[in-house]
Amino acid sequence: MSIEVRNVTKRFGDFVALEDVSVSLPTGQLTALLGPSGGGKSTLLRIIAGLDTADEGTVTIEGTEATNLPARKRNVGFVFQHYAVFKHMTVAKNVAFGLEIRKKPKDEVAARVDELLRLVHLQQFSHRLPSQLSGGQRQRMALARALAVEPKVLLLDEPFGALDAKVRKELREWLRRLHDEVHVTTVFVTHDQEEAMEVSDEIVVINEGRVEQIGSPDDLYDKPANDFVMGFLGEVTRVNGEAVRPHDVDISTAPVLAGAAQGTISRVLRVGFEVRVTVLTDGGEEVTVQLTKAHANALGLHEDQTVWVSPNPGAVPAMSRAV
Amino acid sequence: MASQTVEATRTRDPHPRSTARGPHEDSPAVKWVMRVLVVAYLFFLVAWPTSLVAKNTFANGFQGISDALSDPDVVHALKLSAIVAVAAVLINLVFGVGMALLLVRFDFPGKRVLNALIDVPLSVSPVVVGLALVLVYNGRYGWFGPWLEDQGLQVVFAKPGMIMATAFVALPLVIREVVPVLEDMGDDQEQAARSLGANAWQTFWRITLPGIKWAIVYGVVLCLARSLGEFGAVKVVAGNVGGESTTAPMLVQQKYQNFQQETAYSVSFMLAFAAVLCLIVVALLRPKEGDKK
Ligand SMILES: Nc1ncnc2c1ncn2[C@@H]1O[C@H](COP(=O)(O)OP(=O)(O)O)[C@@H](O)[C@H]1O
Ligand SMILES: [Mg+2]
Repeated sequence: MSIEVRNVTKRFGDFVALEDVSVSLPTGQLTALLGPSGGGKSTLLRIIAGLDTADEGTVTIEGTEATNLPARKRNVGFVFQHYAVFKHMTVAKNVAFGLEIRKKPKDEVAARVDELLRLVHLQQFSHRLPSQLSGGQRQRMALARALAVEPKVLLLDEPFGALDAKVRKELREWLRRLHDEVHVTTVFVTHDQEEAMEVSDEIVVINEGRVEQIGSPDDLYDKPANDFVMGFLGEVTRVNGEAVRPHDVDISTAPVLAGAAQGTISRVLRVGFEVRVTVLTDGGEEVTVQLTKAHANALGLHEDQTVWVSPNPGAVPAMSRAV
Repeated sequence: MASQTVEATRTRDPHPRSTARGPHEDSPAVKWVMRVLVVAYLFFLVAWPTSLVAKNTFANGFQGISDALSDPDVVHALKLSAIVAVAAVLINLVFGVGMALLLVRFDFPGKRVLNALIDVPLSVSPVVVGLALVLVYNGRYGWFGPWLEDQGLQVVFAKPGMIMATAFVALPLVIREVVPVLEDMGDDQEQAARSLGANAWQTFWRITLPGIKWAIVYGVVLCLARSLGEFGAVKVVAGNVGGESTTAPMLVQQKYQNFQQETAYSVSFMLAFAAVLCLIVVALLRPKEGDKK
């Protein structure tokens, strides 16, 4: 295990930001800390980095007991949401900072900076000041700066949170590829479930200072441990009292399935290749069904039609039985 | 704290143009009256008196200045003023930056009290400051003075006291320049430096200091201008030990009372000139600071 967080509790005055949190993160993986804003993700990341200290509990990084180690001795790369660029230094100087602090020889520093700027595609900007870069470029520079010191782990706090949607999408794909290239153990914080599912090997869901679930994106999506995780990772609808995803609801125009709920279509919404159907069941539930255009056309669905809906037997989340 | 400042500046003026059609803009008469008032105010209070000093100084060309500069009392007073001012500025530089860091970056009990205390020198009369220092450091009956004197250090009626008095009076100037810049800067960059392996000193020297550089320069220049001209506090502390402890502003008063107006004007002019020079330096530095943003 690369990072071991054990029984960490953190309070700000009376407010409990983290309560008895334990997480183990394996070496070389890309892990997402996912959860709603204010859940304690940043606090946990900062405690791992040594920028904050836990009130109780321990942190071990690559087998080294780090609980009482100051940030500068943890050899952890940290990338901040608002970049935290050194405003008065050029891009090259920013990246060189950690190496110069470590008193590396000049030619070695120059070579490493050059290599890193290539890695983040900023080689032609090395003499610019950060203020002359776009947000995405600044964040790539901050990433190169953090990677320069060859950290044991790389921690990113909502690294793309301040960027617009398009750049954010580009950068997260790029981060995934970069990670496949560099292989440094990486933890990144996000409140965007799509980002977490798309990029990470493993997701830690954090809510109100507690870990709700740890698992692969598929695990979490298919077998959420509780209602919170299920709701946070994607849309949820209820059929016969059972929580399911809208695309896991079977819909038919005749009562072929035993136990299916009868109802009336109240709305048919076409979004691109997808059709969303709202069904009001006789039991008083409002069920959302998601299906492809072709499927909807084949069934000939229209408003005020009587239909039968039931959870797809192969896709009912385990949680509803297990928990 | 930093984010609050940013928020405040962001939300301060949501409709910057909405008052453009206010009464001042609409009525040229009001505008003119305001202008005349401001100009007259500045003229009668500042420009005219100052220019009269210059006029009297140069009544006989550079004769007045050169006469003054050949008077050993004048030279001594100018030197003493310079030494005291520079020493006070250095002290305020170190403590000012230190206190600003303490106030912005650290939380501790009594912070608000300290914050309020820093403005005391601006609100208390310098004469009171001088008297207070005499009470504490006086060699015969002060609280602390006799002990210091036993150690061979005379504070009151000597240079150390004059430097202390000057430093006290100019204390807030550096702090009040640096604090808002530190708040605005936030501690993100400092945290990044720490996570990259920098210790406290390296972080300060390489990250914090470059960020507050211009605020410090500005504060130091203001502090220097204020220190050169300090009269009340220094006069009380300097006492009546003859020319030894006479600073330039004190000399102006002495010479003026002894009917040596010519010398008084010349020294006054030099003091005013130095102050104006300081302000010009500041004015030249300011736009540079703006460009960098
Ligand atoms: N320095 C602090 N002082 C007081 N409260 C804090 C501080 N930092 C974080 N908090 C509180 O702790 C909670 C968790 O914060 P954070 O870890 O930043 O959440 P997240 O990153 O998941 O959005 C929030 O309610 C926040 O207000
Ligand atoms: Mg956060």
